[in-house]
Amino acid sequence: MSEFPKLTYDALTVGEQFLSDERVVTPEDIEAYAWAVEDHHPWFSGPSPFGGAVAHPTMLANQALHLRHTKYMVHAGLHARMEFQFLEPIRPGMRVRSRGTVIDKYVRRGKQYMVTEFVTEDEGGTLLVRGQFTQMLIPEPAAAPAS
Amino acid sequence: MAVTETITVGQELPVLVKEMSQRRIDVYSGVRPRSIHTDEAWAHAKGFRTTLAQGMMSTAYVSEMMTRLLGAGFVKGGTMSVAFVKPVYAGDRLTVRGVVKEMRPEGAATRVVVDVWCENQHGEKTAVGHASGLLS
Repeated sequence: MSEFPKLTYDALTVGEQFLSDERVVTPEDIEAYAWAVEDHHPWFSGPSPFGGAVAHPTMLANQALHLRHTKYMVHAGLHARMEFQFLEPIRPGMRVRSRGTVIDKYVRRGKQYMVTEFVTEDEGGTLLVRGQFTQMLIPEPAAAPAS
Repeated sequence: MAVTETITVGQELPVLVKEMSQRRIDVYSGVRPRSIHTDEAWAHAKGFRTTLAQGMMSTAYVSEMMTRLLGAGFVKGGTMSVAFVKPVYAGDRLTVRGVVKEMRPEGAATRVVVDVWCENQHGEKTAVGHASGLLS
């Protein structure tokens, strides 16, 4: 069993890697995501030009965004920037996982940021989505001194 | 299926309007305690007036707009780069906009680059960036 340290700017190391759990893409997941973002494109339930149903291209973005939660307890954060390349369609039945590497951390205007490069791939290693994202760390307040 | 047969530089894309209900935010983010997206007390404690939608929801809206424009050429071959410049709160109404910025050859296809942004009900930009996809 691993310990989950609190995520702090100092604890974070450029070059450290994250790996998500594997997840099966289900038709119910695709439908729920479509409902959440109010986009009911007919390709989400098939058919599509790709031969069957496909998921919303951004559907697995949270799997990547939550990569740091696989190693750390995250107090709070804000998403500052997101970049995607959609390489292959996401299809129901795929087993998918995301891998990420911290490629930068910096302080700007007194706020702490981390930058993670990621890929999301299927069980055969086919890359589905590639990209990077920047997250602002919201530090946990220091404990109040004992009175 | 793309919504238009003819795409030109400077063309404004049909806008999308999205009501940011807490229920949709809950489904998108998953309800958790100590989350600025789904726990109002926690959002207050972090200095926000109420819960926030994930910035990622705005990328889904841009994806919808681009898929309407380019169809399969966005689902496979699309790109997006977006900065989240202002919080989006539960109860906000977002308008998603795009203007075709550039068209350039890429292999046997044409890459269509679109300036994209989201505005809240006060006309304030909440996300800005660009997206692209392939027109065969």
